[in-house]
Formats: sequence, C-alpha cells, structure tokens
Amino acid sequence: MSYQCPVCEKIWPDTMELARHVFGVGDQTHKDWVNSKGVNFIELLLIQTMEPGNKGYKTLAEILERDAKKVEES
Amino acid sequence: MKKKLVHLTVNEEYHELYISPRKLLVEILRDELDLTGTKRGCSTGSCGACTILLDGAAVKSCSVLAVQVDGAKVTTVEGLADGAGLTPLQLSFLDHGAFQCGFCTSGMLMSATAFLNEDPVSEDIKKGIQGNICRCTGYNSILRAIRAVAEGKYEDEGR
Amino acid sequence: MKKHTYTVINTPIHNIDGIAKITGRAEYTFDITLPRMLHGKILRSPYPHGEIIHIDTSKAERLKGVKAVLTGKDTLGRKQGIWRRFKELCDEEILARDKVRYIGEPVATVAAVDEDTAEEALDLIEVEYNALPGAFEPLEAIKEGAPQLHEHAERNINVTRHIEWGDVDEGFKKADYVREDWFRCSSQAHVCMETHCAVADYTPEGKLTVYTSTQSHYYIKVLLAEILGLRENDVRVISRYTGGGFGSKFELDSAQFCCSILSMKLCQPVKIVLTREEEFSATKRRTPMFYYIRSGVKKDGAFLAKEARVFTEGGAYTAMGATALYLTGFFQSFPYVWPSYRYDGYRVYTNTAPTSAMRGFGAPQATFCAETQIDLIADELGIDPIDIRRKNAMYPGYEVPGQATIQSCGLGQCLDKIDDWIKSRGKLPPNRGIGVSAYGFMSGGIFNWFDTPYAFSSAVLQINIDGKVDLFVGSQDMGQGSNTTMAMICAEELGVKVEDIRLHMGDTETCPVDLGAWGSRETLMQGNAVKMAASKAKQQILEFATAKLAPNIVYDLDIKDGWIHLIARPERGLSFYDVVKEAIRGKDGQPIIARGHYTPHRKGMISPAYSFGVQAIEADVNPDTGKITLKNCVTAHDCGQVINPLGVEGQLEGAIAMAAGYGFTEDLPMDEGKILNPNLVDYMLLRATEMPETKVMEVETYEPEGPFGAKEAGEGLTNPTAGALGNAVFHATGISIKNLPITPEKVLNALKEKKNK
Repeated sequence: MSYQCPVCEKIWPDTMELARHVFGVGDQTHKDWVNSKGVNFIELLLIQTMEPGNKGYKTLAEILERDAKKVEES
Repeated sequence: MKKKLVHLTVNEEYHELYISPRKLLVEILRDELDLTGTKRGCSTGSCGACTILLDGAAVKSCSVLAVQVDGAKVTTVEGLADGAGLTPLQLSFLDHGAFQCGFCTSGMLMSATAFLNEDPVSEDIKKGIQGNICRCTGYNSILRAIRAVAEGKYEDEGR
Repeated sequence: MKKHTYTVINTPIHNIDGIAKITGRAEYTFDITLPRMLHGKILRSPYPHGEIIHIDTSKAERLKGVKAVLTGKDTLGRKQGIWRRFKELCDEEILARDKVRYIGEPVATVAAVDEDTAEEALDLIEVEYNALPGAFEPLEAIKEGAPQLHEHAERNINVTRHIEWGDVDEGFKKADYVREDWFRCSSQAHVCMETHCAVADYTPEGKLTVYTSTQSHYYIKVLLAEILGLRENDVRVISRYTGGGFGSKFELDSAQFCCSILSMKLCQPVKIVLTREEEFSATKRRTPMFYYIRSGVKKDGAFLAKEARVFTEGGAYTAMGATALYLTGFFQSFPYVWPSYRYDGYRVYTNTAPTSAMRGFGAPQATFCAETQIDLIADELGIDPIDIRRKNAMYPGYEVPGQATIQSCGLGQCLDKIDDWIKSRGKLPPNRGIGVSAYGFMSGGIFNWFDTPYAFSSAVLQINIDGKVDLFVGSQDMGQGSNTTMAMICAEELGVKVEDIRLHMGDTETCPVDLGAWGSRETLMQGNAVKMAASKAKQQILEFATAKLAPNIVYDLDIKDGWIHLIARPERGLSFYDVVKEAIRGKDGQPIIARGHYTPHRKGMISPAYSFGVQAIEADVNPDTGKITLKNCVTAHDCGQVINPLGVEGQLEGAIAMAAGYGFTEDLPMDEGKILNPNLVDYMLLRATEMPETKVMEVETYEPEGPFGAKEAGEGLTNPTAGALGNAVFHATGISIKNLPITPEKVLNALKEKKNK
C-alpha cells in the first residue's frame, strides 16, 4: 500500500514519508491543502522544531492517513 | 582645486606630474603611471595591499598624498627586478607557494623587501608583515619564504 | 591498493600564474581600464525595512560629469536568484523598486566621468522612504505578528529542510545517556582582498561584455542575461584573475548588475568597484545559526540517535542560503556513523544583509556544534576524545542511509596520527589545552537547483604542431590554484610536462561550461573532465604511434614525460613532439582536438566523494584576561591523492587562519540591521603575528571517483578549527563556550560563573 500526495500526486510508501514531502516542498498549494484541514502549516512546523518527539510530522501523517488517496503497489 | 607639479622617481624613472593635491600616492601610481601592480584593499590603511618603498622604507601608499612626497624615490613591485629577472624573494615566494589569489602579494613583497633590507638577521619576521593582510595563505608560507631569503638560501639565485 | 607512479602528480609544481602575480603583472578586474570608461557608484538604503515612496534623480543628473542615474524603475523589474528551479526563491531584484529589506540594499546607481563625481552625485539623489518596523533575529522574525519581509513568505519562512534516517525515537529509548545543547554560530565576512568589482561594456550590436571578479563566469553570464533580457550568449563574462572568493563571488552582485545597466543605457564602458565598507555591509556573508542538538549514546560512547534543529538568519533574500541550510544539516552528522538521525532546518528572512555561501558552506557551524557536544559527552562518560571519535568514525564503504556512499575514507588513520601527536606533547602547562575536531566535506555538489542543461564540467583540448597543448577549462581560479591543478592533471594524463600546457580559462566566449569554483568541486569535477579530454587526445596520438612503432599487438603504449613507449619496454619509443607533427599531417592538417566532461550520476544526494580529517589545536587561555593564544595547529588530512602538495599546504594553512578567525576573533555585530564594524580596523581577522605553528600530515587514500584518486582539499579544512579551538579552551579551563566567537569576554564570564558555582 502506498500513499499519494493530494496536491502533486507523488507516491510515497507511508504517511510519514508523505508528511515529510509535504513539509519539504512547502509551496503555497501544499500549505493551502494543510491549512484546509483545520491545522496551521507553520504552527505544525514550529511544533516540530521547538518540541521533541516529531509531533508536527505525526499530526500531519494522521491527517494524511485519513485523507490521502491510497494506491496499490504496482 | 589647482593642480600642482610633483617630481617623483618611480622605479628609477623620473616623472614630472601635474596632479590634484588631493590625490593619494596610490592613485598616482595606478592611474597616472599605469603601475597597477600596487593594489588597494581598503581605505583605512589597514590591509597593506598598497605597500610600496618610499626612499627605501615600506609605506602604505594609500596613506600619503602624492604632493607630500615630492622629490621622493618610489619603488613598486614592477621595479623589484630588472627585465625578465626575479629577486631572490620573488623566487622564494614561488618555491614556497607564498601567495594564492595574489592580490596582497605586491604589498607583501614590498614589506618583506624593506624588512630584509633593514634587518636581515632578525628572528621576528612576523612583525615585518603584520601590517599586511592576506586572506588566502594564513601567512605561514609567506613567513617561510621570507625566512629562506633571510637565512641566505637564495644568495646566488636572483636572475 | 595499486601503487601508482606519477611524473607530475604529487610534485610541488610552481603555480602557473605565479610569475604574473609576483611581478604585479596579473591584471585583476580592479586593474582594468577601457577607452571611454566611466565610473559608477551605488546608492544604498539607510533603512533596514521600508517602502520607497519616491526617488528624485534630477539634481544628481544635472551635476557636471554625471552621465546617467538609474533606479529600479529603469530595469525590467525581474527578480533573480541562483536557485532557478524554484521561482519563489528567486526573490532579489538587486536594484529595489518598491521596497528595501536591508541596510545597504541598492536603490540607485550613477555613472560619471570619475569616482569622485559619481560619489558626489549619490548625495544629490533624493529618496523618500516610508520606514517600516524590521525583523532582525530569526527567532523573532518567525513569530506571529512579526514584520513580514516578502509577501509570499508567511512568518518569514524562506526555506525548510528535513533529513531523516533510522528510527530516532527508538534510538533515544535505547540510549544510556542523552544530552541536549544549544549553540549560536555567528556570521563572518569573506574579506576578499579584491572587493567585488566589474567593468561592463555594452556595444550597439547588442552584446554585453562584463569583466568581473568571480568564482563562476558561467553563472554570472546566465543570471545577467536573464535579468537584463538578453540572449544568454550575447553576454560575455571575462574573469582572468580573481582576488579571492571564499564563496562570496558566484552569485550576481550589485557591481555586476549596476555597471551592466549603466553601460547598456550609455553604450560606454562603466566600472564599479565596491568600497571596503560596502563589501562588509552590503555583500553576502556567512549564515548565523541557532542550533539545538540532542544526542543519545551508549555508556561506551557508541552513538545511537541524534536530533538537530536549526534556525538560520537568512537576511533579506534567499541567495545560496538554501544550500547552506541543506549542507549544515547533512554535515551535522558528519563524519560519524549515526544509526538514526533527524534534522529540521528553517531559514528565516530577516532585515539584515543576506547570508549565503562561505567556505565550508554551513558545515563549519555544524561541525563546531557537533564537535563541542561530542567532547562534552566524552567528558561526562569518562571517555578519551579520540576514542569516542574512533568508535563512531565513518569508514570506507559506509552508506549514509538515503544520502551518500562513502568510498575512500582515511578518517581512522587521521585519528591515529593526531592521537600520536597529542601523546608526543606530554604533560601540558597549566591553562593550556589541546582540543580536537574531526571533519569531512564534499567534493562538489551533485544538486542542480541552478537548472543547468550543460554537463557540470567540461574541457576542450587541442594539441598544436609543436606539441604545445591548449587546454580550455571552465573552472575559475580565485587563488585556490585550480589552474595549476588542471594543468598538472592534463600533463600527467597526456604524458607531457606542465610547461607544455597553455591553459585558457575565465572567459565564457572561449571556454566550455563549468559551474565554477564553489562547493569544492573543481579538482574532482573539472579535473575529471580534463582527464577525459587528455585521455581521448592521448588515444589519438597513440594510434599514430602504434602504427609507426608497429609493435606486437599484445604490447600496449603509454606516454610519460614526452616519451611515447611500449609499457613493457620503455626504451622502445618515440618523442611525443615528433609523433604530434606527423599525426597532424595524417589528419589532413587538423590539430588534435578532444573534449571531456563530467556530471555525477547516481551518487546519492550530496557529493560523489568526501574528504576527511582530524585537527588538533593547542592553545593557552589567560585566566585573568580571557585571552586565547594559539600555539600549535596540527591536521591529519585525507584528500585522496594529493595533486599539488604546495597547493594543499596553502589551502590548509589559509583555512586555519580563516576558521580560527571564525572561532575567536571575527564577528559582525549589528544594531537593528546595521553592521557596526564594516572596516578592517574593527573587524578583527588574524594577522601574521597571531598565526600558530601549523603542521600537516597527509593520509593518502585513493578515491575511485576522483581524477587520479583525488578529492577536495580546500573548503573542508575550514570546518574543524572553531570546534577544535573551543575544545582546547574546554580542556584548558573546564568551560565550554557554545556561542561563537569565543571572545576573551565570554571566557572571563564563563570562568567567573564556574567559580561562583
């Protein structure tokens, strides 16, 4: 099972990787997608940095687990 | 401002120049006499890239007005050696890799030349070039090059 | 390992530009004068943040001797940047139109008959600003409600980077000892002895020639063409001698841009030379970084997990700062095996002069923090500093998960040599300590955010009738000696003398593309391209020689020192010079021509090869004044096969001076975006009298990806010194300063604090 980026449709093996991708690209369309999910992109980034435990990525990964399209391994 | 007549002997060539009294010696050397081997790296007399010999002493040519040195004898890097020749110090710089970008090199050579002329036995070569900044070499290769000449290793080698 | 015998490689060859440099004949951009040439100056913003309401140039234009006054309104209004693949990161106009974002940002430029007149005209330009509140520190600028510099960058976040491998959380769980530290790494000025300068000469044919002091004529050509709306190859960039670069001269700068637009307006050559003050306050500089590092280790010192977060002060624009943010994250883990690692980096826009590339490129900051923390961990666990490094050192064949493959690696031998040296020092006097730092660096980046369609490096070679070889390279010699290195590589491969090579460089019209002298790329990348060209040319010559010598087909031929011979029977051969003459006849009178190129493929995320080393610094700390005196600096260094020992030694010693300056004397203090020491009196770089004794111990390895086994030898050497210096202070006094530079004041305060505890 893989996950597809809801913005640019790139495929990633799991939602953590996908979350990293979304933060890593960080352009306006990716930001907008995250913000549309009831969280703030930059707040998540700050949490990720200022507090231990990978919290920012985990939060986004959970959202992606729910909302990203799952694709079968080809 | 009215121009003034200045007499300078530069690299053993005599010049009569009408110049603005505001002009620095380095500007006259570079802009009037095309001796661009002398560089400028600052305007605060800190870097030493413009060092020349003024009546044999190492002087920063950005710190003196040309009119102040009327009648003086100036040597620049272009006047260190004759024709295709090189001085022992220049040869030693080559052998020791005592330069990289080369922008401070003319000033270094002039400071070191004055130092070697004045006091070739002094141990403290570092003081001889402490007025010159080199951002590339970390100075040690320059110090080795000067020391080799001071120790007489290049006595028969000028060409 | 196969033992190689070379005739040119690893011999101390005189710098091929040496005689020009020691006789004052080397013509730098600073020395260029063209017929009808005008002189330009740049008016710069006195505000760190503000809107430009109106600019009135009429008084300046009326001044006698002034030929043109231009502002941002006279440009195409294009934004440029070196990260061309990412549009948002191309954020700098160079000549501001509506808004200024740092003190020193150009707002107008003047061309006049001489510098004094141009300077006078600057005072006559009236600019009305609406001053805005500024954001000066990254940790402030990122907060909600802070003044925002760019519309596109919410919370002033410019770039973010994430690197991760292994299971970090699991690693920390298993750790016996976890340590957290916070560091602040300061800025630093490049202080090239030749300030940024350019002479632009635009002619009515629509061609622009720019002479400039640069590390990459190719980049400058492309960036200029783009921002000026010219065709790429209607711009010619010439840069024969460059008076120092250190990372400051491969982006488009204000001198290049302003003299180009002035020359295009006037169809006359215009020269702009930045003053030393402009150089300090308005050109790019080393990136200040705020680091948080958390490391988990086993009782025996084995590394398990590391987490690093950094906020970097970006200044007003992206510049090469995005690369520094990436590299600092990777090199934070270097040169060790961390089973798990997580890095998050944030580059934050601030109303300060932009920060960018500087020798080491983010790695000196990372290495300072990492190496300081490693000594603190070792101290806590009662492990010898060398032992803890040895236990976790990278080794040949190690793969950094998802990032890089380490091929050659002499780190272990380097540690042994430094260990021996430290032991040879015996018991040290009071208040003296020896600190060590291990380091490594890349040999050229593999990333292509510039989006060049060309090979990363190319070379063209032509052999003439007298055997003289014309070698055309795109690499740029800014003093590091790449011209000599390329001539040596060519001479070795072709089997001739260095004197047989005539090197052509520094001109986009005649030289092939190379990305330039940054990221320690020239020896490996341009070197490989040169080697390929030489090898192809050699093949052509050997075809003729083989036909002429008619050996048994089982024999093969080689050329050494101008002698073409059977490898198995070296006495049987022909003169290279004679064969060349006949070969050219045989080619219907065509000189022998060959091309070479290099682009890394499938070499990970960072670089095709890595240098390694360990440095030890012995220093005295005066407990009454806090003054640090460097005594010895010993470095064991693996740069693969040394090409020119004279060059490597020079690079190493120069790096020590620059990096020690970063460690304890150099800084760019600011007040609301204004640099307080923009001159060589107040900016304290090391003088000859402050240099310690230096000693280099080469550890030779063979790098399969490098030409003749070589890799980088210039930039990585800037990485260890600040950390080694800090560790020397730690071992001398028991205090650890985590805030660069380590000034006497900080040392005294820390000593006082320690006493009071």
